[in-house]
Amino acid sequence: MDVAKRTDRAEPPSATGSVAIDGLHHRYDADDVLVGVDLAIEAGTSLALLGPSGCGKTTLLRAIAGLERPQRGTIAIDGETVTGPSTWVPPERRRAGLVFQDWALFPTRSVAGNVGYGLPRSGRRERVADALELVGLAGLDDRMPATLSGGQQQRVALARALAPEPRLLLLDEPFSNLDASRRAEVRTELRALLAGIGTTSVFVTHDQEEAFVLGDRVALMHEGRVVQVDTPQGLYERPDSRWAATFVGDAVLVDGLANGDVASTVLGPVPLDRPMAGRVEVLIRPEQLRLTGRASAPRDAPTDQVPAPAAGVIQAIDYHGHDAVVHLLVGDLPVRVRTGPAPPGTVGEAVGLLFAGRPATAFDGAADGGGPSVDPA
Amino acid sequence: MASSTADVAVAVGRLPPVGPRPPLGLRAASLLLGALFALPAAYLIWRTFAADSDPAGLVLTGRTLDPLRRTLQLAGLVSLTAMLVGTALAWLTTRTDLPAARLWRVLLPLPLVVPTFVGAAAMIRTVNPGGLLDDLVSAVGIGTTPELRGLTGAWLVLTLFTYPYVYLPAAARFRQLPGSLEDSARVLGDGPWRTFGRVCLPQAAPAIGAGTVLVFLYAVSDFGAVVLLRYDTLTRAINTSYLTDQAVALALSSVLLALAAVVVVAERWLSARADHRPTTGATRPIVYPLGRWRLPALGLVVGWVAVALGGPLASLVDWSLGGLIRSRGGGRGLTIDGGDVVGATWGSLQVGVLAAGVAIAAVLPIAYLSARHRSTIGTVAAALVISTFALPGLLVALSVRFWTLPVWADAVVGDTMALLIFAYVVRFGSLAMGVTLVAVRSVPPRLGDAAATLGAGRWRRLRTVDLPIMVPGLSAGAGLVLLSVMKELPISLLVSPLGYSNLATRIFLSFQDAFVAEAGILALVLVALSFVLSWFLVIRRADHL
Repeated sequence: MDVAKRTDRAEPPSATGSVAIDGLHHRYDADDVLVGVDLAIEAGTSLALLGPSGCGKTTLLRAIAGLERPQRGTIAIDGETVTGPSTWVPPERRRAGLVFQDWALFPTRSVAGNVGYGLPRSGRRERVADALELVGLAGLDDRMPATLSGGQQQRVALARALAPEPRLLLLDEPFSNLDASRRAEVRTELRALLAGIGTTSVFVTHDQEEAFVLGDRVALMHEGRVVQVDTPQGLYERPDSRWAATFVGDAVLVDGLANGDVASTVLGPVPLDRPMAGRVEVLIRPEQLRLTGRASAPRDAPTDQVPAPAAGVIQAIDYHGHDAVVHLLVGDLPVRVRTGPAPPGTVGEAVGLLFAGRPATAFDGAADGGGPSVDPA
Repeated sequence: MASSTADVAVAVGRLPPVGPRPPLGLRAASLLLGALFALPAAYLIWRTFAADSDPAGLVLTGRTLDPLRRTLQLAGLVSLTAMLVGTALAWLTTRTDLPAARLWRVLLPLPLVVPTFVGAAAMIRTVNPGGLLDDLVSAVGIGTTPELRGLTGAWLVLTLFTYPYVYLPAAARFRQLPGSLEDSARVLGDGPWRTFGRVCLPQAAPAIGAGTVLVFLYAVSDFGAVVLLRYDTLTRAINTSYLTDQAVALALSSVLLALAAVVVVAERWLSARADHRPTTGATRPIVYPLGRWRLPALGLVVGWVAVALGGPLASLVDWSLGGLIRSRGGGRGLTIDGGDVVGATWGSLQVGVLAAGVAIAAVLPIAYLSARHRSTIGTVAAALVISTFALPGLLVALSVRFWTLPVWADAVVGDTMALLIFAYVVRFGSLAMGVTLVAVRSVPPRLGDAAATLGAGRWRRLRTVDLPIMVPGLSAGAGLVLLSVMKELPISLLVSPLGYSNLATRIFLSFQDAFVAEAGILALVLVALSFVLSWFLVIRRADHL
């Protein structure tokens, strides 16, 4: 995963659209959808709300837009309270643009009619043209939404949300209705576009890759709470909980005995990112392990590798072209290892493996014990 | 009319999303409107059981029980016959190689456009001595046709003009059934008849059942045909007693109301069981070859179309031409001129359009409240409006007439156009409600959300987002109400203000006064208008084609 790519984003001088959410509770009938959400979004940045379906992320987005009225808690945009115990700013006065999952284009209005909907009459034509230009749809003004492709409809929805120059742009699963083959391309375009205009953006996604590529920061949601807010790299490398560790990226949790900076496990000694003691569970990503060739290779064979502290039997190999994932059994522990396109060994063979990554994160106690932070499950 | 069952079925049972608290104005308006829709029935019940005349004691005497027995007898016979005929015709025209099946599928629903009182009048004058058929029969020298009156006449006429309520849903259902099911039955060893009985019929049964109950309700509430054919059902008994003996009329009304309510509850139960999912599978329905039965089947269908559609139309044309030729030839002149025809037509259209507009406007707030918000007021108001489905037109008319009996009430609302429109709106409110709910639900709430995030307030959202999408649905609904108002007889007869007349009242009164040429001309206009409206609103869109 490429995580060092967005250092070049320039902060616009007068960024608006900071959001402060404090203790937000919302329930539908008997279902608690949001259970005390606290979240701060810095002006001019982009935040991904990542979580499994049903975790409340779309409800949170709609609450920021003013389309839901939570029972408790406050939301402030640029310091102005818009949702609170005695305050309610209706959606039409929040200046928060929203791009809906299915675009929600007005079917009886043309492209220009959609994009111009939120604009005052004076100067509408010019601003519609500008917005369409921005999303690369100049000249399609008179088309009806039904005659456009999915990608074009999404751009119209984006232009419509951006045209009134909102303080804040909210996007609900912006790519889920696009063909898988077009998603990566559209994602890159959207990132460039958002970076160019410098509006605060918040988008909901259940796709970790999307969240990592588009979000300056990622808010991980689980069962109505924001459980961790961090940079993509921070979230991936230092998850706060077992749940976060396994939801974000592929992970194996291995029992170990910690002694200071090192834990001893069935995979050999693993360096830890902070000193711990006693029984721990160590988070190991597939790319942190390395295969060292056939475990049954003759001892006197010339090798430049460290002797492998552990051995496993290959169960299956997922070949991806640019790399491969090898599924192994180490004793009775299933382990996955990311290798180059030519893994050493074939199914059924025993191979050696060792830990060869950055220091790993570990959680206190055995598998059913508590982690270092609140485990919301 | 035919679509009202499905729409009513849609109206109940789907839970709206939890949204923000509904606006106070919307709740207040819905409460008031729901109460207005409930008023006529509530008034009848109150008068029956609480007012000083104490007609409640009359409910279980011979004066009410005999008409009730006759009503049940008639409705039972009519619905049974309509069920058999409607199902058979539906099967023949959708699933067999009957010649010109598409033509029959277009023609067979058309008797719906003939109001039963027009149909009854046509039958009486065609079959009875001196009528078209009687002339033909005597010309051939066979003798004379039997006189058509009472139960037999009412049974025949109501069956001929209500069987489309079974035909339409049954034909639609037969066409949806995927052929793979019947193929499976055949492969598993069932013959064609067994396959029909074990595979097709069970799947079409709820649709047929719901249509049959609708025919039953129609027969129970029918007014024009039984009055003209002099069969003393509840509606005719109410009509003959309401001026002379209010207590008896009220007792009869309560019995009729209770009967209609029972029927509608049964209808609700049946259509809830009816499978509304379109089961159009990948496989096309099987078409069965009729073989040597092809010609007899064709004869049956042609004969039915001739009796149900050709007969009435032929006699209407016969009367009109007869009258025109007679007056041109210097015989007795017509009592109406072109101006009268235009005036009556205008009366029907003007009041119909007004009532349709008011009906849609009156149910729109309730539809919004119940479809977009979870609100007890919305649910109750919608249920009240939908329950007027069970209220026969005669009872609406009677209730409204009784209000205006006190002098002070008469001075305020008596004999006004507003009262007539109110009666029509209550009568056809459930029809408008079904269509309006469908229209409101056809607007994805997200569109309103999108407009809100773009700065549009409530009224701008309604005007610029919701209404443009709902207009086609609402106009179709208004058209259905207009069509029903034009065919409605008892309300037109009893509630019309002095000096107002429309096609329905003029046809009925002309016929009663034996001015058949006049009745024929006006009836042709009504049938033609009703045909045009039905064609655009119901038949052309129907999925049985």
